[in-house]
Amino acid sequence: MTKKEIKYKICIVIPAYNESTAIGDVISDVRDTFKHCDYETEIVVVNDASKDKTGIIAREQGATVIQHLLNSGAGGATATGLSYAEQNGFDIAVTMDADGQHSSKDAIKGIDELIKRGDDLLIGSRLINSKGMSKAKIIGNRGLSFVTYMLFGIHSTDSQSGLRVFSHRALESLRWKTSGYEFCSEMLWRAKQLNLRISEYPIEAIYTDYSKAKGQNNWNGVNIVKSLLRRRIAELMG
Amino acid sequence: MSRYFLLLLLTTPFILLSILSALTKYKLGRSTKKRFIVQFITWLLVFIGLASAETIYIWLFQHKLTQTEPLSLFDVIQISAIIMIFYIANRSRAKIETLEKRMQDLHQELSIRLSDKNRNK
Repeated sequence: MTKKEIKYKICIVIPAYNESTAIGDVISDVRDTFKHCDYETEIVVVNDASKDKTGIIAREQGATVIQHLLNSGAGGATATGLSYAEQNGFDIAVTMDADGQHSSKDAIKGIDELIKRGDDLLIGSRLINSKGMSKAKIIGNRGLSFVTYMLFGIHSTDSQSGLRVFSHRALESLRWKTSGYEFCSEMLWRAKQLNLRISEYPIEAIYTDYSKAKGQNNWNGVNIVKSLLRRRIAELMG
Repeated sequence: MSRYFLLLLLTTPFILLSILSALTKYKLGRSTKKRFIVQFITWLLVFIGLASAETIYIWLFQHKLTQTEPLSLFDVIQISAIIMIFYIANRSRAKIETLEKRMQDLHQELSIRLSDKNRNK
């Protein structure tokens, strides 16, 4: 199967919470970039019960908006978006951050790579080439990738990356239990349990003042580690 | 009746129930083999510890490694209560987790359906 023979249906999932400042630009950038592609695309914004106008702006920009009734966290919002993609028969889904941290060109590159390699889950790693990333962020992300390796035995250079590409097989089978940011590591673990093909490709992280202010700080990493430890022990105890 | 035997008598039902529950989950495909083995070994170790408590105490006492009094009736009740609480806490945690997951699924499904309705209006 080549790209030319089949027009792949792509769902671009953007989980968003209080992102009214950036969401409009992110959607228009994605729409403009994907316009020149051979793919049939739908942009889905999962508005995780934002208190600002995220949902309204996303709808105005032409995205499909799934309105969460309750705030569920990044993991919950991503799960909703991917479930929508699965239910609506998409071949591939891509998740992107709503703060403009990811380039839509990298998303297209990821889709092309996934089709070419035949992977099930492709992670866009900001750390293969960490140019432009602050030292604190590099240490934090490498630390969490190390914890992910120690707890689940999965080697990833950037286990917390929000830019991920999923095959239809992954959409059908991949489920996780955590709803906060720790879902990034848990997702890799579940994918490994399901014997899905996981790999990485380099992406560029775009850090603006806004995305820096919105992004995770290293102290949140402590909560992520605690939650992952709890999940690991709970899984063993029943 | 020996207090050590009484301790074993009071705690064995909880240990057996836990092992049975782990086995049932495994057989019904709701748990992995690895998880079942970990659970089984954990409860087996608890059982072995309790069953050989008297022997361990005598050995430690004879070798002057402990100078504590033998098991009192209060100790028996206290240890039984700890085992029971551990059993109940573990079961409650598992139930809460299941309910949490179901609520998450319901919320997810509801959000998708409501959004679809909005789109078709």
